[in-house]
Amino acid sequence: YIVGFTGYFSAKARSLYINSALRNGGDGALEWHIVPRENPASDFPSDFELVHISQPSPNSLKTLEDHPYIKRVTPQRQVFRVLKYVPTPEPAAPWNTTRGKQKWQSWQSSRPFRRTSLSLGSGFWHATGRHSSRRLLRAIPRHVAQILQADVLWQMGHTGSGVKVAVFDTGLSEKHPHFKNVKERTNWTNEKTLDDGLGHGTFVAGVIASMRECQGFAPDSELHIFRVFTNNQVSYTSWFLDAFNYAILKKIDVLNLSIGGPDFMDHPFVDKVWELTANKVIMVSAIGNDGPLYGTLNNPADQMDVIGVGGIDFEDNIARFSSRGMTTWELPGGYGRVKPDIVTYGSGVRGSGMKEGCRSLSGTSVASPVVAGAVTLLASTVLNRELVNPASMKQALIASARRLPGVNMFEITHSCFSSLLPPSLSPSYIDLTECPYMWPYCSQPIYYGGMPTIVNVTILNGMGVTGRIVDKPIWQPYLPQNGDHIDVAVSYSPVLWPWAGYLAVSISVAKKAASWEGIAQGHVMVTVASPAENDSEVGGEMTSTVKLPIKVKIVPTPPRSKRVLWDQYHNLRYPPGYFPRDNLRMKNDPLDWNGDHIHTNFRDMYQHLRSMGYFVEVLGAPITCFDASQYGTLLMVDSEEEYFPEEITKLRRDIDNGLSLIVFSDWYNTSVMRKVKFYDENTRQWWMPDTGGANVPALNDLISVWGMAFSDGLYEGDFSLAEHDMYYASGCSIARFPEDGIVIAKNLKDQGLEVLKQETAVVEGVPILGLYQTPSDGGGRIVLYGDSNCIDDSHRQKDCFWMLDALLQYTSYSMTPPSLSHSHSRVAPPTGTEHPLPQRLEGNHLYRYSKVLEAHLGDPKPRPLPACPHLSWAKPQPLNETAPSNLWKHQKLLSVDLDKVALPNVRAYRPQVRPLSPGESGAWDIPGGIMPGRYNQEVGQTIPVFAFLGAMVVLSFFVVQLTKTKSKPKRRKPRIKRPTYLQQQQQQTTTGKTPTV
Amino acid sequence: MMVLRRLLRKRWVLGVVFGLSLIYFLTSTLKQEERTIRDRTLLEAKDSDHRIPWKVRFNLGNSSRQMTQCRNSIQGKTLLTDELGYVCDRKDLLINGCCNVNAPSTRQYICKSCLANGCCSIYEYCVSCCLQPDKQLLLERFLNRAAEGFQNLFTAVEDHFELCLAKCRTSSQSVQHENTYRNPQAKYCYGESPPELLPV
Repeated sequence: YIVGFTGYFSAKARSLYINSALRNGGDGALEWHIVPRENPASDFPSDFELVHISQPSPNSLKTLEDHPYIKRVTPQRQVFRVLKYVPTPEPAAPWNTTRGKQKWQSWQSSRPFRRTSLSLGSGFWHATGRHSSRRLLRAIPRHVAQILQADVLWQMGHTGSGVKVAVFDTGLSEKHPHFKNVKERTNWTNEKTLDDGLGHGTFVAGVIASMRECQGFAPDSELHIFRVFTNNQVSYTSWFLDAFNYAILKKIDVLNLSIGGPDFMDHPFVDKVWELTANKVIMVSAIGNDGPLYGTLNNPADQMDVIGVGGIDFEDNIARFSSRGMTTWELPGGYGRVKPDIVTYGSGVRGSGMKEGCRSLSGTSVASPVVAGAVTLLASTVLNRELVNPASMKQALIASARRLPGVNMFEITHSCFSSLLPPSLSPSYIDLTECPYMWPYCSQPIYYGGMPTIVNVTILNGMGVTGRIVDKPIWQPYLPQNGDHIDVAVSYSPVLWPWAGYLAVSISVAKKAASWEGIAQGHVMVTVASPAENDSEVGGEMTSTVKLPIKVKIVPTPPRSKRVLWDQYHNLRYPPGYFPRDNLRMKNDPLDWNGDHIHTNFRDMYQHLRSMGYFVEVLGAPITCFDASQYGTLLMVDSEEEYFPEEITKLRRDIDNGLSLIVFSDWYNTSVMRKVKFYDENTRQWWMPDTGGANVPALNDLISVWGMAFSDGLYEGDFSLAEHDMYYASGCSIARFPEDGIVIAKNLKDQGLEVLKQETAVVEGVPILGLYQTPSDGGGRIVLYGDSNCIDDSHRQKDCFWMLDALLQYTSYSMTPPSLSHSHSRVAPPTGTEHPLPQRLEGNHLYRYSKVLEAHLGDPKPRPLPACPHLSWAKPQPLNETAPSNLWKHQKLLSVDLDKVALPNVRAYRPQVRPLSPGESGAWDIPGGIMPGRYNQEVGQTIPVFAFLGAMVVLSFFVVQLTKTKSKPKRRKPRIKRPTYLQQQQQQTTTGKTPTV
Repeated sequence: MMVLRRLLRKRWVLGVVFGLSLIYFLTSTLKQEERTIRDRTLLEAKDSDHRIPWKVRFNLGNSSRQMTQCRNSIQGKTLLTDELGYVCDRKDLLINGCCNVNAPSTRQYICKSCLANGCCSIYEYCVSCCLQPDKQLLLERFLNRAAEGFQNLFTAVEDHFELCLAKCRTSSQSVQHENTYRNPQAKYCYGESPPELLPV
């Protein structure tokens, strides 16, 4: 039996308690003894004891439980089962031998199983998911360097010596006891100190190179501390530029940057990072703490030449805070790359405290130095340092992670750097049938007539800083595997610099497979050439060929009504411009920066539509570039872009011919837009939004021909529609609608008034939803809704996927949902003649970021319509051979670098995840001189208030100070100098306050 | 104590207290403002008293000597500059790191793409141009007047080549509003002045 106590007691006390409890029970015949526990922990107080009771009676157990210090008595067997499913570890508490032994045994048995399962190619995440709970207890009390088996290398004498590591962070104090080889500390901020006032930089440096207490990875590495972040967490791009230049000059080998921000269009910064890696600096950076939302990767970790690190907890689940999803640089025309490159422990990791001792922190900024430390240690093992470069290190990491994902990245060490690595691809194969690893590709099969599926593969070229692709990539379909049923087009970086390039593979179904169903396979062959540096012959080139296996699932083209087209082309986002949030309540997240793609922040909506049987495709080109007869519904959500006149004409024609349109708009109110301007500390500029949540004036141009328009009203509130709870988060209303349409109105709060004047008013009957059947024969249907928040994953409170279903039923099948057409909230369509329609904000700079507008004298004018993207399909070179199925069985194990994992159910226990709370671990991951630091919308009004308050505080402080300083001399002076001392004292004694000198 | 209290109640004492604190408040806020202004212009401020203890050795007239091993600019996409000021294609780089002087495209001290203000659009040409022997005066003048913000960098630089590599890189001087280049076309400068500010 395990006897649990109410607190921690020593072994002696525990035995005493049990003794007394059982004696008091009066059951003298009971035979029992305490099972001794032999482990290092037995010296420490514990909160439980193992008692062996032969033939226990229920009575005796009850008496045991009745003891005041005993919490519970449980049979040991039962405890084991409970623990298996619900481990609630207390890292500080010592653990039971029995428990430990059981764990250990089962853990050991699980280990070979996991290995074999990996080599068999079954999903790694399933394997760990099942056994993860076991490894936890073993892992927690140990340091992260030991968990990753750095001690193996330490014993071989590798401790990171000779490797220069730069830590770009908040600095480090001079005499920190944990570090023995701090080569240099430099300050790049405007604060005149080199010390760490926050503890973040110390922690990060500790994970890399601490030599005592909480051990880092490479204690002998040469540390270069760059202080680029102030104690107020301010940092500018320009500081980074100068500091990076210094790092290049100092020939730094590994650079850790636990800082990031969403502005991947900060060209000076991005260029500088390229320059840095081109100079052979291995850059390791944190991917960001903006998870679990998709499309939240931070720069510079999202760059191809940087090792981007995500976080997992000690159970091998992707940490909730870790940013994920594809990169969004490539939108709208292309498709994002796979990132982060590697995930490692980032939750509850122990590292150096600010002055001394250890502490635990969570965040991807913790995971990043884990990898940086590992990279440093790895680099120090390599004899020929010439072979270590950003690409080869990344290749090695990915390759090793493949074998024992995230756990033992050292298994490969030596073999990997024995010679130059051939280029490799990430992901190394394209298997569109494999779930969940290949999400989202695996979530929707491809078919003839669909938008080509684009897979953006990164080529890592360890042969040299520059490289090129020789000739053209060759597409070789496997005839026995129906490879000829697909067409492949490949576009790629003209120059692979620095160390990496992209290879975008567009896959489309051949016409002959229009009604075919099955699996098609083939591969793309790429030859990469790099100038040979060690070749005596001038102009020599090294070449190497890589194969990219492709496997796709083809289905017959679904009917038009099942096909939904998502308009990506008209979504604009931050960066580059200030596109404000769609929900004005979210003041701490002012920017619309997740990409608005079905695989980023509209992922849930996409998953829902897929589960309803719809096929969703993405339009990354103007409306003129798609065949409307193929699609049932065009979905335009939260569009910020303007429209080409040609697009407006084309859409009208398409809708006459049966295409339906669903528009989810958002707010647009010029007064509110002026109000949400803010002073951005990083760019030292006022930021004025260029649109509202959506570009309502542009949308009105698009839909005006049907007599529809949105208003510039701004509404917010809860309501219920068709027995569903709904929340309207900063949306507009419908200003005009044709009179034979269905319009639903609700009572909502006027948020515009609230934002502008801090007044609350409820507006009755705000038209928010409109359904309309166009009159022409076989014409499509149009649906307008004023708010996009209920289908957007970021800040969503209540989803309205049910409504989207109903609307799609209406648009695709012309089935008017009775819940809406017979709703009590149905009102007569507004004619909107009384209010003018919203106009574009005067002096907005949308043309700077728009693909449609260009600057012009006077108002910006639309550009000429760009040509539709044209793919040149690679000429197939069919191979009459069977797909080497084992090839990607091996490569399949590359699961770690992905977040595309259906997470095993998130458990209630979540170890110290503190995403982005200011002043805590996460907070550093925002700015990096990249994201606006402070979002103070009412700067103008608040400054005087603050000044006044400050003045008051200063004043009162000095009043207090002065009274104190005055009182002292006044008291003493008379005592010392004046003869009235006695009198004084006399007086004071009467008041009862005798001064004692 | 009573005396004190009485004293405190007197109007002039309160007045003095208030006055002092007001003065303190005003001066401190003003000082802070000054400080922030100074911080912001930290890099532009050219303090005439302060001089960077630079130790660059310009070895003149050695360009003709035979080098057995060259350093070069490493990073280039297609071009490289070696320490003798030769710019060449990557394929024309010899095994010792020097440019192949006999290759047809190799040029020494070439200022291609550089403007009159000393800013170039291609980094390798900036370095090559900066390595011209007659640029030494310009560089020395720059070092003597360089802002404090560059102290770390330019005190660590040891010779003409390193100086040119470092000087030509984009830096805090190259940006406007932090996230845009002052002049995206000519951003690599060997000269004293920052790139010319292009209107948005």
